Amino acid sequence: MRVNANSARPTVFVVDDDSAVRDALKLLLRSVGHPVETYGSGQDFLDGYPDDQPGCLVLDIRMPGMSGLELQQQLNTRHSLLPIIFITGHGDVPMAVEAMQAGAMDFIQKPFRDQDLLDRINQALDKDASNRAALSERNAIRKRLETLTPREREVMDLVVDGKANKVIAGDLNLSQRTVEIHRARVMEKMQATSLAHLVRMVLEVEEE
Amino acid sequence: MSATRLPEPADERALRVEREFEALLDAAIDGVVVIDHEARIELLSHAAERMFGYREEELVGRNVSILMPEPFRSEHDAQLQRYLKTRVPHVIGIAREVTAQRRDGTEFAAEIAVGLVKGMEPPRFVAFIRDITERKLDQEALIRSEAELHMAQELANLGNYVLHPDGRGRDFVSPQLYRMLGLRPEGTALVTAQILPLVHPADRFRVEQAFEHLQTSARAFDMEYRTLRADGTLRYIHHIGQAICADDGRIVRHVGTLHDITDRRRAEDEVRRMQERIAHFGRISTMGEMAAGIAHEVNQPLTAIATFARACQRLLSSPDFALEDVSAALEQIGQQALRAGEVIRRLRSFVKNREVKRELIGANRLLEDLLTLAQTDARHHGVRIYLQQSPDAPLVQADSVQIQQVILNLVRNSIDAMLDVPEQHREIILRTRVDEEGDVEFMVADRGTGLDEATLAELFNPFFTTKPGGTGLGLAISLSIVRAHGGKLWCRANPLGGAQFLFTLPASPRAST
Repeated sequence: MRVNANSARPTVFVVDDDSAVRDALKLLLRSVGHPVETYGSGQDFLDGYPDDQPGCLVLDIRMPGMSGLELQQQLNTRHSLLPIIFITGHGDVPMAVEAMQAGAMDFIQKPFRDQDLLDRINQALDKDASNRAALSERNAIRKRLETLTPREREVMDLVVDGKANKVIAGDLNLSQRTVEIHRARVMEKMQATSLAHLVRMVLEVEEE
Repeated sequence: MSATRLPEPADERALRVEREFEALLDAAIDGVVVIDHEARIELLSHAAERMFGYREEELVGRNVSILMPEPFRSEHDAQLQRYLKTRVPHVIGIAREVTAQRRDGTEFAAEIAVGLVKGMEPPRFVAFIRDITERKLDQEALIRSEAELHMAQELANLGNYVLHPDGRGRDFVSPQLYRMLGLRPEGTALVTAQILPLVHPADRFRVEQAFEHLQTSARAFDMEYRTLRADGTLRYIHHIGQAICADDGRIVRHVGTLHDITDRRRAEDEVRRMQERIAHFGRISTMGEMAAGIAHEVNQPLTAIATFARACQRLLSSPDFALEDVSAALEQIGQQALRAGEVIRRLRSFVKNREVKRELIGANRLLEDLLTLAQTDARHHGVRIYLQQSPDAPLVQADSVQIQQVILNLVRNSIDAMLDVPEQHREIILRTRVDEEGDVEFMVADRGTGLDEATLAELFNPFFTTKPGGTGLGLAISLSIVRAHGGKLWCRANPLGGAQFLFTLPASPRAST
């Protein structure tokens, strides 16, 4: 997935089939300065939402046609990062549980206090921002990894494993001096400030 | 006869008179017995022989008391002696009913007339005896049948009258009629005149009109009205009245029956109230099943209202806000409050305990008015409802709440039948159609799981249900409502899968399209 972190200001996306609720949410969010986009159905949202736009999704769990849960599944298969806050009715607790298990960030019951919703939205936007920052960090690391030669990669893997230069030279049948040069190139290309930093970067990418 | 008779010698004459007398005796249907002053029988006619079972020669010289049962037998001689002494007649010249005794000891009712043979001393008596057993039986039968009539009237709360306005004929007013009206029997005044003051004021004009038509144009009536007795009790009376006219058109007789139908009316009222209560119960339990959908439907506008209101507050406290935003939000708040109110209003009018009220209403209107409630439930379950209304659908005479109850019940069943089918197939068609007889046919068609044989067989039975927590009364109540409206309710398989429920309501005669 390609992420363009600079594409837009974080936006609150609202999907609700009830136009009155939709309009009310739009006005509320605008009144506190959030950019808002509203959609009347899950399908409208899938058709209109650009994948890489930062923000969060406020989603009515119960809608005719595609339900909130179905939209959530669709977004999961697309590896969407967008945190989802579900709006639920009184009898919808089992559905809310299902939504949480499928990775929803939070849910809020109708009718709700505006501050409760706004707090959750702020949390969601923070989470989205940090998710996206982490993601772009990982992408940067991967790009740097791609600049390494196969030999440099070999040396780096052994360094990260905690082996001394002498041992690496023995393992790869190189002179200790050559290992030192490769190692310095690795630190430079990976923009690592220390061995510990290098290890952290490699682990972060490998975790995926 | 005496004028043609020829003169004759005295002895011949005496012989002839005796023969004639004998012939007379033998021809007489009544039995004749002649006794002397000591009650000894001197003569017994043939008829008397047959009546008592004796032959004349057996009785001549015997005391006549042999023909009487005790205690008359023992008393007879004394009575005769008393007469001979005082000459005050008790029996003579007066027909009396007595009890006589036959030879075999059996008794019979007899009418007896006794005459004194004049100019003879000591006196003799002639008794004419008539067997009145038959007459007595007839009389008793008459008395019995009158008693039975009275009893029947009593039991049936029925009273009748026969009156003769011209005074020619015996008027009759049965005692039950007076009792029914709480009147004391008096006079033979025209019953109608006695009834009218008792009629409930609300019915009086109508009754007065009917009585008047009967008087003036001999038009018969058959009507129900209420009466108020002096003690305030209310009775329902069914009165059928007729006038019988002579050839010249004059009314010669008024006949009529009054039937106290209070108990029947009360029973009917009770049955109707019971049906209303059951229908009401059905609506409440339907609403109970729809509670989640209704809560959702009220929650939506409340959520919008709360959110708009808070948004306005935030806008107003910010340095630069657009007035039209606040204005539009306030407009929305008003609308959403009405929307919530509308759901509650429909709900209230649906579940309110109320009198059944039939009114003339368009068949399509019934569907449209129901849609808000039906959609509430349908939306909640991801079901779409499509209306297919016939532009020719007639007016019907119906209680709109009860008919909507039927439709809503069918819609709910359809929704429940579709919970296991994919959402894109969850649709209900609500249709009106004019059938072959010109009546309106309502259809609720779904694409659900349909009905198997076993379910079909039991479908309309009370307490039969396929739903967990269902009462099993929905369809039974619906059926009774439709039947009470003169319609039919049935179901069949939907060719597209699922089931179709149909019911008819008779088009109102006043209907026009």
